[in-house]
Amino acid sequence: MPVTLRLKRPPIVPLEAEFLSPDVLATLSHAEISAMIVHHGKRRLPLSEFFDVEGERSEDLVLHGELHKLRWVGRGMRRGSITVHGTIGMHLGAYMRGGRIDVHGNAGDWIGAEMKDGTIRIRGNAGGQIGAAYRGAMSGMRNGLIMIDGSAGLEVGMRMRRGTIVVGGPTRDFTGLQMKGGTILLRSGAEIRTGAWMQRGTIISLKPLQMMPTFTYSTTTTPGFLPLLSRHLAPHGITLPTGPYQLYRGDRAVPGKGEILVLA
Amino acid sequence: MGGKVTCTLGEVKQRADFIIYWGGNPAECHPRHFTKYTIMQKSKFLPRGRKDRTMVLVDIRETKSAKAADIFLQVRPGKDFELITILRALIKDQPVRDEDIAETGLDRAAVEDLVRRMKGAKFGCMFFGMGLSMTRGKHMNSAALLTLAAEMNAFTKFVAMPMRGHGNVTGADVIMRWQTGYPFGISFNRGYPRYNPGEFSTVDVLVRGDCDAAFIIGADPGATMPQPAIDHLARIPTIVLDPHITHTSRLARVHITTAPQGISAPGTAYRMDELPMPLSPALKSPYPTDEEVVRRINEAIAKKPFWLPDGGPSPHQWTSQVNL
Amino acid sequence: MIRITGGKIYDPAQGIDGQVRDLCIDDTGKIVETVSGGRIIDATGMVIFPGGVDVHTHVAGGAINFARAMTPEDHRRTQAFIRTKTRRSGLGGMAPTTFATGYLYAGMGFTTVNEAAVPVLSARHTHEELADIPIIDKASLTLMANNEILLEQLEQGEYERAKQVLSWYLWAAKSYGVKAVNPGGVKAWKYGHDAKALDTPIDGYHRLTPGQIVTNLARICDDLGLPHPVHLHCNNLGAPGNITTTLDTLARLEGHRAHIAHSQYHAYGGDGWDTMCSETTVLAEYFNSHPNLTTDAGVVLFGDTVTITADGPWQHLLYKLTGRKWGNLDVENETGCGIVPYTYRPSNVVNAVQWAAGLELLLMIRDPWQVFLSTDHPNGGCFWRYPEIIQMLMSAEFRRECLKKLPDRVKSRIKLPELDREYTLLEIATAMSAGPARALGLTHKGHLGVGADADVVVYEEQVDIQQMFSHPRYVIKAGEVVLEDGDIREAPQGKEFLVRPAMDPATNDFIRPLFEDCYTMKFEHYPVELERIEHPDLRDCQPPATS
Ligand SMILES: [Zn+2]
Repeated sequence: MPVTLRLKRPPIVPLEAEFLSPDVLATLSHAEISAMIVHHGKRRLPLSEFFDVEGERSEDLVLHGELHKLRWVGRGMRRGSITVHGTIGMHLGAYMRGGRIDVHGNAGDWIGAEMKDGTIRIRGNAGGQIGAAYRGAMSGMRNGLIMIDGSAGLEVGMRMRRGTIVVGGPTRDFTGLQMKGGTILLRSGAEIRTGAWMQRGTIISLKPLQMMPTFTYSTTTTPGFLPLLSRHLAPHGITLPTGPYQLYRGDRAVPGKGEILVLA
Repeated sequence: MGGKVTCTLGEVKQRADFIIYWGGNPAECHPRHFTKYTIMQKSKFLPRGRKDRTMVLVDIRETKSAKAADIFLQVRPGKDFELITILRALIKDQPVRDEDIAETGLDRAAVEDLVRRMKGAKFGCMFFGMGLSMTRGKHMNSAALLTLAAEMNAFTKFVAMPMRGHGNVTGADVIMRWQTGYPFGISFNRGYPRYNPGEFSTVDVLVRGDCDAAFIIGADPGATMPQPAIDHLARIPTIVLDPHITHTSRLARVHITTAPQGISAPGTAYRMDELPMPLSPALKSPYPTDEEVVRRINEAIAKKPFWLPDGGPSPHQWTSQVNL
Repeated sequence: MIRITGGKIYDPAQGIDGQVRDLCIDDTGKIVETVSGGRIIDATGMVIFPGGVDVHTHVAGGAINFARAMTPEDHRRTQAFIRTKTRRSGLGGMAPTTFATGYLYAGMGFTTVNEAAVPVLSARHTHEELADIPIIDKASLTLMANNEILLEQLEQGEYERAKQVLSWYLWAAKSYGVKAVNPGGVKAWKYGHDAKALDTPIDGYHRLTPGQIVTNLARICDDLGLPHPVHLHCNNLGAPGNITTTLDTLARLEGHRAHIAHSQYHAYGGDGWDTMCSETTVLAEYFNSHPNLTTDAGVVLFGDTVTITADGPWQHLLYKLTGRKWGNLDVENETGCGIVPYTYRPSNVVNAVQWAAGLELLLMIRDPWQVFLSTDHPNGGCFWRYPEIIQMLMSAEFRRECLKKLPDRVKSRIKLPELDREYTLLEIATAMSAGPARALGLTHKGHLGVGADADVVVYEEQVDIQQMFSHPRYVIKAGEVVLEDGDIREAPQGKEFLVRPAMDPATNDFIRPLFEDCYTMKFEHYPVELERIEHPDLRDCQPPATS
């Protein structure tokens, strides 16, 4: 039986609970979980102040409620699963190394920031800085898969090095900013400055994009790696047209060797 | 990856033969900038003063500052980031298409002329204002200009610095950095400083309703912030320290009148180039200084139970297990 | 009052080498002959040193504060100091915050530090930062070797005038002494150039050469009777083959006293990065035959750090080599600084040579009163890693283990594998406390004689040397137990050391027009007022009678 938390008292200020990760909960009894300290602003309170707790010693965690103020869930998790029914706040799955997170609702900023591996799926919309590098860090996500069914905010995949981000809805500005590797699939396009200052990596857009002036059109092609990517995404019910795609290279300002593919 | 390459204003005064103002209107907002620091000064290295210097203004509209400029480049609104990125490519002799340059509102001749002048300068300096740093793209617009300046050093000496607004914004930034390692957007709720602009920056905290009280010194967010932020300030207990009645003090639960800094209260202000300037009060004020009020509040708080569990004896307990 | 009993005392200045004695401290924070009553600390089986003194570090001011802003990624991964009732919060790491700096230094038994690079223009800022570094005592040095008003006097051969100008600047900065960085080179950098040859006139001058700046500054410091001699960062820092420049520079001192900063960075042979090698043998030999000189090693430790120096040209080169972040700040009329995060790797031949060279100097300069522990924090590594250096100095076997990690092609370029010397505890106490205190002219520091400041560190004697020096059992600062059993107990405010050199009162009027010509602030606002220094310890300097 999974550990199930149901919100009973909504937090007034952000609630930080980085221990809400399967690695930690797998070894804890019901009483221990209930007594774990969360930070409600500066106040340190037991988890049971905010949640009804069910279950114990499980690698599966289920959360229920409007949890947009709940931060750092699944921080650095290595295994197991987290399922959220409702909304969830910032830093979900940040530094994650493995396992799976599913959110049936909307999520905040910094989802999967600097993650090393694992899978995150957000069924609703997400905020900005998905899979990004925290301020000042050289690299964002290093591997893994993030899928946002809805829209996403600014700086999606900023400085990512490897791994894949799929966004079903539109993203805002600076998608793939300073990207160093990996793949971003944009099913509904993006606002402006997509791929700005890219060094390497690939952005695929199924909708037309407003290109940065420092990208150069190269050719129209059916890239060889797309079947591979399709196979990678197929188990998640995500399909990908085989093309052809218009290939742009940039960002020449760096000068970088990134690629943006726009479905022709 | 770029960085920040800057200098004090005296260096500009003595050496800068090429000055770009980007997204700022010094003629009206920093009226003494031209005469004190930049284009009008004569120096050992630039004995003819204005004649030895070239000034470029980049802005979305022709402000009063354009009259002072040798070259005015009118960039299309929202195209600053694109223009700077084009410049970054052009200085490295990377090709950019005519039509892409035209999108920024400038033509190839103007942009290439700018690049030629930048590379030909002995000491170039770029000042950027809120027209750059507060428009769409925000911190990335500033980062773009700072990166361009850093990269220009492959060809000649180049620096860049922000034109900060009024008040001692720079001072707050400098002190927060030495005490916490971070300039702004800091949270102490876990007992040690954490930084994340967008998460902890004041405007974002207020807009999301993430705080249950506000304490405001030397600022008037009620006049400048978006409506949801102002609404939240009115909802929660807000305390304002200010010599004057302000938009914020009107919606605050408590307004403590304090002595005006620099006029009646001593201290140090940091100039936009981060040089410290002593403030010597000219007038006496019947009101306490901000410092005095904060000190007394601190003393009162010290009498209350401490809000964090006291650190244990082991050095490892000085540290948090994880820094978030 | 405190009596520490049963401990083995290591006090190089008094020649006490591990003898068991009682140490008494009175209520004014001084070492005394005896006390009656008060606290008794049983230090049986423990080792007692005078508190550590760091002769060359960068802990406060515009440059390190710039570095802090540039490295948020490091703050997130580093030691966080959580606020308690007696301790304020902060962050350790490559560029620690002010409060953390005090706790970290005191936490490893250091009680006095010298901030080695302060531009006069931002001295006010530096002092405000120093005031926020708790527990330890502080001194700061003023950057003078690229000051254009001063250089102009030297260009014109106006020695007396130059001396007056320098005195004026020191007092304006509320400084403890003179730092010379890359004489003439920082100035040239302001137009993107450098100064590499000691006899070539500096950019913008007809006659004045870097070599003349060195000679004159050394002479001025001696003539003014400053407690600390000129603190010299030679030209050509970090460049292969720079040993020639360094030896040439030392020759220009013409018998004057000097402290040579981070000499490791100035002891390279070869003619390019491919051939760079350690030339520490000749440099060590020079020190061995010149007792008028002291130096700090500027050891490089493998790992991440951030380099900050007034040497702008070097930093631009490092930025180009690393392709990482770069910060640069030129300060009008006076100096400049550059900031580049950097990772020293054992697999990198250049880094490996640097690592070895620092240790070689510490091992080959025979007199520990001449060569001191330093990493040029944060340039070669962070100060809180000093215990790693101590372990390498005390154990040849440990060094041999470390050497195994280096690539084979390094071995022919370094001397370290041939060195068997092991420091004794007394020699460690000399290099980390007694020596630097004497070099700084801090007569009441670095020893445990009667009348000395009661800055005392008590270590549990352990086989694991790094552990022993990282975690003292007690640290006493000015008679107050500030650290006990690994925990900071008190965080009192330390003092700041200042000098007031003799000065012709007319100098003020001489400088005013020159100042107004190149600076952008009010002349009256420039000098830091004495009232702005919290807990000043002021010393009036008089020229030595014999000169
Ligand atoms: Zn140094």
